[in-house]
Amino acid sequence: MLKIDNLHVRTGDAEILHGLTLEVNAGEVHAIMGPNGSGKSTLAQAVAGHEDYEITEGTIEFLGQDIGELDPEERAREGLFLGFQYPVEIPGVNNAYLLKAALNAKRKQAGEGEIDAYEFLKLAREKMALLDMDPKFLNRGVNEGFSGGEKKRNEILQMAVLEPKLAILDETDSGLDIDALKAVAQGVNALRSPDRAIVLVTHYQRLLDYITPDVVHVLSAGRIVHSGDKSLATELEDRGYDWVVEAASA
Amino acid sequence: MNALDIDKLRAHVAGLPGGGLDAIRQQAVAALARTGLPSTRDEAFKYTDLSEIGALSRAWLEQPTRPPISAEAARRIDEVTATGGIDWLVIANGDLNAVLARPAGPVSFERLSESLHRPRPASALEPLTALNAALLEDGLVIRVDASPEQPLGLLVIDDAGDAPGLSQLRIDIEVAAGQSLEFVEYYLSTGEEAHYSNAVLQLDLREGSSARHLRLQDRDVRHSQTQRLDVRLERDAAFTSASFDLGGRLTRNDLNVDLTSPGSSAEFSGLYLSADGQHVDNHTRVDHRTGPTVSRQEYRGILFGRSRAVWNGKAMVHEGADGTDAQQANHNLLLSEHAEIDTKPELEIYAEDVRCAHGTTVGQLDDRALFYLRSRGLDADDARRLLVHAFAAEILSAAPIDAIAPHLEALLDTRLTAIDDVSLSV
Repeated sequence: MLKIDNLHVRTGDAEILHGLTLEVNAGEVHAIMGPNGSGKSTLAQAVAGHEDYEITEGTIEFLGQDIGELDPEERAREGLFLGFQYPVEIPGVNNAYLLKAALNAKRKQAGEGEIDAYEFLKLAREKMALLDMDPKFLNRGVNEGFSGGEKKRNEILQMAVLEPKLAILDETDSGLDIDALKAVAQGVNALRSPDRAIVLVTHYQRLLDYITPDVVHVLSAGRIVHSGDKSLATELEDRGYDWVVEAASA
Repeated sequence: MNALDIDKLRAHVAGLPGGGLDAIRQQAVAALARTGLPSTRDEAFKYTDLSEIGALSRAWLEQPTRPPISAEAARRIDEVTATGGIDWLVIANGDLNAVLARPAGPVSFERLSESLHRPRPASALEPLTALNAALLEDGLVIRVDASPEQPLGLLVIDDAGDAPGLSQLRIDIEVAAGQSLEFVEYYLSTGEEAHYSNAVLQLDLREGSSARHLRLQDRDVRHSQTQRLDVRLERDAAFTSASFDLGGRLTRNDLNVDLTSPGSSAEFSGLYLSADGQHVDNHTRVDHRTGPTVSRQEYRGILFGRSRAVWNGKAMVHEGADGTDAQQANHNLLLSEHAEIDTKPELEIYAEDVRCAHGTTVGQLDDRALFYLRSRGLDADDARRLLVHAFAAEILSAAPIDAIAPHLEALLDTRLTAIDDVSLSV
């Protein structure tokens, strides 16, 4: 599904990722953990195609295609979804409008026609119920005046409607209370399937109590320095990151 | 100085139909003889150069004409007046007869020259108002004695057929105590020649009355206009307004709001677009003469290509106007490195207990929002357009007259798309 090989990424004057290698297969849930400043968000942004993140070396393959040169919208239409750490507020753009436009962009790519208004509303309401979201959020400006938890639920709503092949969720758990965390986890778990992969980028182990990962990676100083099964997350929670980072640099 | 040929002006004025306007015409000519038209040396016109308008006015005085209405103009009139839910009044090339012929109801229409109503004198000396008073054949007085059922729509269309055109429009509206009026001012123009329209309006809101107002300017980009609206509010009167400047070559609007008495309030907003070769200038002034009075204004501009916009908003809080609440904001989206905006909020406060705030911003499209939309699969161009529309939507959604909203929305879409297609293809 996703194959990252020796990835070097620069933003501004600084190289943040120094040869990161990662492979995620269909049906798997991976957690990428690491201390602040290790490059977690850079990885997410670079894979999604943010132009401020320049790939200087290495490759990102998605579904067997090198996507390093593709625009973010092309990556999205291929089935890549990034759940933002800080979802952007866009007053004046209706939440329902964006959801529908995003869905239609994907359908167009797949050679399908635009979804009709009734079907769309039915789909959106169904996914909102799953996330315990009030349907009135559909008619508000995108993330406008949403609380932190509402913004994250809105990200998961978009993911649920778009049904991507690969979802990268960047710090989706940060700033969530326990109810929001459970709702978000429920939304993510509902999307787990043998032909879909999910990458959870997170600082804390808390989210992983609700979404059990198949593989846990530790990212430090721009590289994956350690990988393990779900028990690694618990160990990181107990012992912190220092032991892994030190072992890697030893 | 942007002078006029005063002998030519005098000769022209002497030939105008007489009646009650003679005295004011003479005053106006005398004022113009002293000041000429505004030039960029005048503070209020520092960024808006009227020399082209001066040249056009001089040329027109050489050979004053008023061409007949073309088929194209007639088509545009039909198009606009097809908008339902609005009682349309049409003034085509300055001809007031169609409006004057209407039977009196809760709203009555009179010639300014025959009306007992006299314009407030203070504004007569300002040069563009003087030009209007000097050259005006006649004006319109609209009295609202009882709230009409439908919004009034005033469609002003100028057709510059075969010679450079100049037109003056003067309308005074009075809303009786406790009554309310909804009205639309819609400015259009057609024709290949140059044209300059100079409109002066006064709106008097008596005690406890209210007006909901929408001004839409969609002139041909070869045609210029200056427009001045003076609103005077008595106790507990309310003025709610939105203006939309979508077309025009040079556009200058002066909106002056006078909150004379306690409980009066004004809430107004504006949206202006400018593309290659266009210049749009909005000057506003609110006088808080007593408290408690409230004013709120927000203007937004979207600038493309080689164009220029000016916004100058002044709130004047007079001595003793305690309990004044004045807010002003101006936000601009600069979509071209060749576009230029001059924005200036001004607060003058001579009272103690006031709440005043102002803010202006000039920026480009938010890169974070663009990336967010693209990461959801939207084309870069579609994402840009969506954000531009969203910026405009904030003002559009505040438009106070529902009946014109769909027309306005469609028109804004057409204009934005047309400008955008041009600027994208450059």
